[in-house]
Amino acid sequence: MPRLTGLIDWLDSRTGIKAGRAHLLDEPLPPGVNWWFVLGSILLFLLALQLLSGIVLAMYYVAAPDHAYDSIRYVTDHLPFGGFVRGLHFFGASFIVIAALAHMARVVAFGSYKSPREVTWLTGVALLLVIMAFALTGYLLPWDQKAYWATTVTINIARSTPLMGESIAAVMRGGSQLGALTLLRWYAVHVLLLPGALVALVVTHLYLMRRHGISGPITPRSGAPTPFYPYHAIRDTLAVAAVFAVLITMAATIRVPLDGMADPSDATYVPRPEWYFLSLFQLLKYFPGRLEPVATLVIPGVVVTLVALLPFLDRRPERHPARRRLVMLACGLLAVGAGTLTYLGLKDSPTHAEPGRFTPLAIAGAEFAADQRCAACHRTGGAANPMSDTRITKDHDWVLAHIRDPDTITPGSRKPPTGGMRESQARSVISYLQHVRAGGVAPSTVEHKQGILVYGAWCASCHIMDGEGVKNGPELTRIGEKRDAKWLQAWIADPGAVDENADMPAFGDRLSADELKAVAEFLAARKHGAGGGSN
Amino acid sequence: MAIIQAAMGATVAFVLGRTVVGPALGAKRTDWWPAATLSDLTEGEPTPVTIRRAQTDGYRQTVNREVVFLIRTKDQVTALSSTCTHLGCRVAWDAEAALLKCPCHGGRFDRNGAVKAGPPPVPLARFATRIESGQVMVEL
Repeated sequence: MPRLTGLIDWLDSRTGIKAGRAHLLDEPLPPGVNWWFVLGSILLFLLALQLLSGIVLAMYYVAAPDHAYDSIRYVTDHLPFGGFVRGLHFFGASFIVIAALAHMARVVAFGSYKSPREVTWLTGVALLLVIMAFALTGYLLPWDQKAYWATTVTINIARSTPLMGESIAAVMRGGSQLGALTLLRWYAVHVLLLPGALVALVVTHLYLMRRHGISGPITPRSGAPTPFYPYHAIRDTLAVAAVFAVLITMAATIRVPLDGMADPSDATYVPRPEWYFLSLFQLLKYFPGRLEPVATLVIPGVVVTLVALLPFLDRRPERHPARRRLVMLACGLLAVGAGTLTYLGLKDSPTHAEPGRFTPLAIAGAEFAADQRCAACHRTGGAANPMSDTRITKDHDWVLAHIRDPDTITPGSRKPPTGGMRESQARSVISYLQHVRAGGVAPSTVEHKQGILVYGAWCASCHIMDGEGVKNGPELTRIGEKRDAKWLQAWIADPGAVDENADMPAFGDRLSADELKAVAEFLAARKHGAGGGSN
Repeated sequence: MAIIQAAMGATVAFVLGRTVVGPALGAKRTDWWPAATLSDLTEGEPTPVTIRRAQTDGYRQTVNREVVFLIRTKDQVTALSSTCTHLGCRVAWDAEAALLKCPCHGGRFDRNGAVKAGPPPVPLARFATRIESGQVMVEL
């Protein structure tokens, strides 16, 4: 130990660390400081944790449309503790927003923003905006459907800015469309610009906090100041530990969602922002058309300006909330308004199917992909990766053409297999590959399996089920609510015999009686809540 | 208080640390890869073959091309790595000298991979082989 003491003494003589430590820990706090004053420490801890988990994620993330999704998929599904760290970062963002708002509410209620702490308040408001910018830019990075479409909406909101909207949107995109350049610049802002701004603002905020001392209880009490350590440090530690416990429990037990990969051609996806932006999103609905800038710019702009100017509008030294009714009422209304809008937004949110959940087409595709003709090239040591390891990177049409006739797209494939697949089968195989890429695992037991195989082999080139297929005939997702198995079997065998105006070709001569029965029974079971047919 | 702080710090360090070192510490997976047809190999002559290995590289799937020397002795085949054990350059077969030569620092190996000259500290690595209906398989 004497050696350690000697080392510390030496370090102290060169750096003054002992005085620095005393300055940090012995901060005199006004008497009566209580649990309300732990919120800032919680926020500081969460921000530091977010920085660390962000650094780890940056070791695995690739900011390019070709790889971003796969890199996040790798982190979520394959990296040891990767899903956990992603959970820390994902839920951490929500925790930060809650902690920041709670801290702010405490400052408002206690009148802590008043002279001489106006600039401290301003840096705090700037911090909240930086936190929001973090959330917004972080959103795009996984490059899944939610990321792509929510960002499309964000950029279109910016585009509604009068006069210079188009230019702002173009700068946000970095090009004429949402793509590789957009992803790179949002990433650069998220990991370089914003962390710099955050650290600078936090340091300034803390410096100002120490310069003026903390505001203390609303009604100052008499008595001697107490040092921060250990009297308040124990409260901070316990509160931070409690929040940390909740956060790691969530990160460890709740899987962070990752939709299917971004698909700019998919017009069916309904994006919804994260809960902390939901109030703004909901507000948009009440200002349609030309009035939109009222919701996107005017109202948020006025609110942020008023909040930032609060210490200059409410200048009386009075701190008691009961004697600052106007401020408390205005802030209360703001909170209730934002809360109501968030609630309405939540109620209106669509539920998305789990991307990895196997659809009937994917189940059928898994069977078709086991075809020996695929294995002619897709095998260990073969010309291409085994099917189970194939990650489709080409566009949908390329893959479709390749499956239907491998040699047309890959001329000179060694010993091209004879014959191709029917379009419906090829679509099934694509669906299977997409589900595997989205982290799905084929269900071990499947009801109506034979019917599903018949469906996958023949029907998907004209019908849509669970969003997959071709819209040529009627959608079949819930056909069982309209028709029973008997009717369906007769119809599929010979539509013309049921209705002489029928467009659909007859399948009676192409399917065996067993196959007809199986597919009819499968379709008849397609009702509300039947899901992917894989229960 | 110190215990709580230490526990939180340890948790964060463990989770983040595990994620950072995770892929580095994972066990290396080997597979059997088709390398050549037995009848194509000349007795006693190291023949370089390129093995095409589909591999997972983190989030990516890549195809690595690995050059391996196959040496046939009757119906047995030895597979030698082409990576010099000194600093990792690629060795080449010199038929005249009957040596595998490294172009970087003059390492020399005989057809069994034993060091004959130069700085290499150990013989060339060997891979397991087996013959499957006339096809030479190498475990990489």
